[in-house]
Amino acid sequence: MTRPRFHTMTGGLRVSGLHKRFGKVVALHGVDLEVARGQLVGFLGPNGAGKTTTMRGILGLVAMDAGSVTWDGRTMTEEDRHHIGYMPQERGLYPGMKVHEHISYIGRLAGLDRETASRRAKHWADRVGLADRGKDLVQQLSTGNQQRVQLAVALVHEPELMILDEPFAGLDPVAVSMLSDVMAEQVEKGASVVFSSHQLELVQDLAEHVTIVAGGETRATGTVADLRNRSPRRQLEIRWTGPVPAWSPPEALAQEAPPGVSIFEVPAASDPAALIAQASLAGSVSAVSFQPPGLDEVFLELVGP
Amino acid sequence: MSWNLVKEVAEREIRTRARTKSFRIITGILVAAAILGPIVSALWPEGGDDLRQVTVGLVDVEETTQQQIMAFAEGNLDVTFQDYTGLPPAQLDQALSDGDIDVAIEGGQTLVWDRETDFEIAGLLFSVLQQQEVLVRGRMLGLDEGDIVQLLTPVQVEERFADKPGESEGVATGVAFLGLMAAFILPQAFGQLTMMSVVEEKSTRVIEVLLGHLRPRALLLGKVLGIGTMAVGQLMVVVGGLTAALLLTNTVDIPSSVWHFVPIIVVSILGGLAIYNTFFALLGSLISRQEDAAQVIMPTLLPLMAGYLVGQSAVFGDAESALVKVLTLFPLTAPMLLPVRVARDAIAPWEIALSLGLLAVGVWLLIRIAGRVYEFTLLQTGSRIGWGQVVRLSRGAALD
Repeated sequence: MTRPRFHTMTGGLRVSGLHKRFGKVVALHGVDLEVARGQLVGFLGPNGAGKTTTMRGILGLVAMDAGSVTWDGRTMTEEDRHHIGYMPQERGLYPGMKVHEHISYIGRLAGLDRETASRRAKHWADRVGLADRGKDLVQQLSTGNQQRVQLAVALVHEPELMILDEPFAGLDPVAVSMLSDVMAEQVEKGASVVFSSHQLELVQDLAEHVTIVAGGETRATGTVADLRNRSPRRQLEIRWTGPVPAWSPPEALAQEAPPGVSIFEVPAASDPAALIAQASLAGSVSAVSFQPPGLDEVFLELVGP
Repeated sequence: MSWNLVKEVAEREIRTRARTKSFRIITGILVAAAILGPIVSALWPEGGDDLRQVTVGLVDVEETTQQQIMAFAEGNLDVTFQDYTGLPPAQLDQALSDGDIDVAIEGGQTLVWDRETDFEIAGLLFSVLQQQEVLVRGRMLGLDEGDIVQLLTPVQVEERFADKPGESEGVATGVAFLGLMAAFILPQAFGQLTMMSVVEEKSTRVIEVLLGHLRPRALLLGKVLGIGTMAVGQLMVVVGGLTAALLLTNTVDIPSSVWHFVPIIVVSILGGLAIYNTFFALLGSLISRQEDAAQVIMPTLLPLMAGYLVGQSAVFGDAESALVKVLTLFPLTAPMLLPVRVARDAIAPWEIALSLGLLAVGVWLLIRIAGRVYEFTLLQTGSRIGWGQVVRLSRGAALD
């Protein structure tokens, strides 16, 4: 199993050794997470891994039994928490409030004055594509648009740290693209952004860093490329010009493949040049790829049964 | 705790709740009723057009006597006459027996009844007939007309009562009753609104977003203050409308003494709103669905009902019984009994001070307890949370 490796961080969020027990249920027993300023981190894990509890712990919604949450190197305070933008997994909005009023209200709770909150509410409503829906009641919006409101609510006070719990769940491709852009913009501005998602391809595209938790503990952390490279396996894909030969590399596991193609799972230590040479002896090779597994496979390696 | 955040929460509650149709309609109906009541009463005063109809039979009675009777009866009895002069006496007796006439005057000195004397009519007719007779006698004695009139001018008889009811007792009873009703109805209506507000925040999960920015106690306080302010606003609009209508129509004289105890009544109603809104909010945090409200509401209804029933007995009966006195000191029933006893002037100043003091302590304690419970129940969803579970949660345990 790949153990967590942390790099030195000068600013941002650092969560260390979080422990939380709910009666007989151990929810967290050693979660570590780091999100530097200007960094986008994917926070991955299967259902029940402890992602939401960790996020709630960072927000101070749930008191932890042990561990620490620091911001810029010091224990996170109530004041620091005003600078967090949170998008919960189960969307939370007042159905009977108007869109602009709702965004503005949360802005004021986050410490903005009335005028600034109103101005920002308009800006973010426009930015998430709800420019003409400001006076509509939240309950009059579609689920997707309500999710856009939820995003605007998380952004209205232009937080330094964004915690997004399953932000892409249920979004259409247009909204996914908008949300991805917004997250990237915030990172560009220097915000720390951490988000959870089960859409691993999306995470692989968006996040440079990921932290994977399972069973209430951090199983791996690092860049996506690093985690993929740390895998003990590689994927060898060979495209043949003629019939597919009955050839298999040593210690390989054949995978399902389309016609004219062979896919094998081989040890990471395998020599790709030697494998290509062997394959060429067995048949007519037109193309070869030798890659570490995708994030989804790394994820399964780390958290799977 | 940031009071700015409390204010924000309170303002949101007021804005969103006051905008609801139900609140506007109910307030409109109450204000209309408060204003229309005195106006209707002034336009159709009790008995104004409904004077007792009296028919008087006449046998050889002079015109002046009839005029005198009409003058005396004005505003008290609606008198009409039927002349039986020259008709057989049996016909007069039959008219009396049939109820066609209430009484007959024969010759100016005799009143004829069917079976028994009606003293209201008799009093009027005796006075008129006596005056007529005195006038005749005076003339016979050669008295000057002016002297006779002076003699007949009614003497102003003053009255004195050994146990006269207080000047404002009627109004005080009315104020006591209104105070009791307000202290009973407002906490129920607005307390349940508070409860529904808490449940809405839990069921929609907006609570997670809110608690990222403010502490549970600030949220609770803001909610209690906001919805309490709405209740006070509604009460003031209704009472204001009622008072203005009463003053304009002059239906009831409001004694100045009333204004002396109104502040205490207002304070006790405010205390009631504070303690019950907090109580309802606490209970709301134990459930996640509005349909579960009936399961948890009982602890609030019991003291409310007890206070109301005992309060009603104090409005119309003994306001200083031992039970009334004890419940005046209990914070959950004090808001209903204080207005009654104060309005009825049946409470010592020290009792008022003690009762309000205990009410204040009760509100403070309940806010602390509710704030604590809130912290552990607001994020819990699913089935109703029992009190045993609340204790476990406060120790960091999880729900089953």
